[in-house]
Amino acid sequence: MSGGHGMNAAPPPWAGKLARAALALYPAVWRARYGDEVRVLLEDSGADPRTVASLAGQAVPAWIWPIRHLYDRPARMRASLATVLVAWTVLAGLAVAFAQFTQAQMSPQGQPPGARHLVILLSYGVFDAAVGVSALAVAVGGLPLWLLMMRRARREQRPRDLACLLAPVVMPVLYLAAGQVTGLVPPAGTGNGPIGLSAYLALLVLGFVAGVISAAGPALALRRLRPHGPAVGLAARAAGVAAAAMALAGAASIVAAIGLYRWAPPYHQGWQLAVYPPLVLLAAAVAVVSAARGIRARPVTRRRITPAA
Amino acid sequence: MTDRLDRWADPPLLVLASLAGEPKHGYAIMQDVADTMGVRLTAGTLYAVIARLESRGLIEAMDSEDRRRPYRLTAAGASALAEQSERMHQVAFVARERLRVRYGWAVS
Repeated sequence: MSGGHGMNAAPPPWAGKLARAALALYPAVWRARYGDEVRVLLEDSGADPRTVASLAGQAVPAWIWPIRHLYDRPARMRASLATVLVAWTVLAGLAVAFAQFTQAQMSPQGQPPGARHLVILLSYGVFDAAVGVSALAVAVGGLPLWLLMMRRARREQRPRDLACLLAPVVMPVLYLAAGQVTGLVPPAGTGNGPIGLSAYLALLVLGFVAGVISAAGPALALRRLRPHGPAVGLAARAAGVAAAAMALAGAASIVAAIGLYRWAPPYHQGWQLAVYPPLVLLAAAVAVVSAARGIRARPVTRRRITPAA
Repeated sequence: MTDRLDRWADPPLLVLASLAGEPKHGYAIMQDVADTMGVRLTAGTLYAVIARLESRGLIEAMDSEDRRRPYRLTAAGASALAEQSERMHQVAFVARERLRVRYGWAVS
C-alpha cells in the first residue's frame, strides 16, 4: 500500500516478469485459487518494483497463516506434521553433530580456559535443556498418534504402513548398532579418534540419511492412513513446542559455536562455523513455519450460543 | 510527513468500503480505492486482504466467464463495515472536536 501519487510513472520492463515470478513464492493452494487473478491484475495494472516487493513480502504470511477456507484442515495438519517431523529430525541430527564436534571434546585434559567462558557454558545449558524439552514434546505429543496409526495398520493388516511406522525405531537401532558412531568417532584433529575427518563426515551423512528415513516413514504413514481426531490436534500442538524448542537449541548451539571460535580456537574451525549456522537456521525456519501452519489449521471450537429463555 | 499517513489506513476496510458500492474484480477495487480514497493498494496487499476477507466470510467470489473474478460484500461483511464505520465516525468526531478546541481548527 502506498500513497496515490506517481501512479503513472513508467515501470521498468523487468518488474512484470519478477512480479509474476514472485507468485511462485506462495503456497500451491494459494496460487491455484488466486494466482490467475493476480496475473490478470498485473496485466491490467502493470507492475513496478513496489508491486514485486509487495507480492514477495505477502508470500511470507501466506505460508505462516494459511487461508483456512482453501485447505482441508486435517490434511493440512498431517502435511505440517510430516514436514515438522523431517525438519525436526534434521535439527536433531545437527544437534548430535554439534555435540560430537564440540561437547565431546570438552575433556578436562588440555581444555583451554576459553572453553569455559560463561557465554559458552550458558549456551550449552540452554542447548541441553531445549533439546530435552523438544524430545519430550515429540514423545508426549507423537506417541498417541503413533499408537493410533499402529493399531489401525495392524487391524487392517497393512504391512507397508507398519514398516513405515517402525522406521523411527528400527533405523536408529540399526545405525547405532552398526558402529555406535555418535559415541565412538570423534572428529579428526583431536588426537584420539580412530578414523579421519572424511570417514567421520561420511558416517555423519549416513546418520542423516538414517534419520531422514526414520522421519519419512511416519510421514508417509500419515499420508496413507490419514488419521484424524484429537490425537492429530495434540501432535500438532506438540510439534509446535518441539519445533520452537529445537530452534532455540539451534540458536544456543550457534552462540556456543561462535563462542568457541572466538575464545577457544583449537576447539572449533572456521569452516564449521560457515556450514553449521545456515543449516540450523534453514531447518529451524522450515520446522517452525510448518508447525505454525499445522497449529493454525486446527479446527476452531466455537461455543454454541443458545437463545435466552 | 502528513502525505504518508495513508500508510495507516486499514486495507481490509478500504476493500470492504469499495465493495459496498457494487461487486468488483481486483483491478476495479484497486482503481476505486485509489480514486475515491486516495490510497493505492499493491497487488500483494490487495490479494492478501481479499483472501483473508473471503476466508472470514466477509466477501464472496462471484461466478465469472473470464479471468477477472468479481467479489461482493456478504451480509456479515456489510455488518462488519457498518460497525467499523461507526467506530471511525466516533474517532473522527473526537479528533475534530479536540482540534477545534485546542487549535481552533475549523471544519470546512
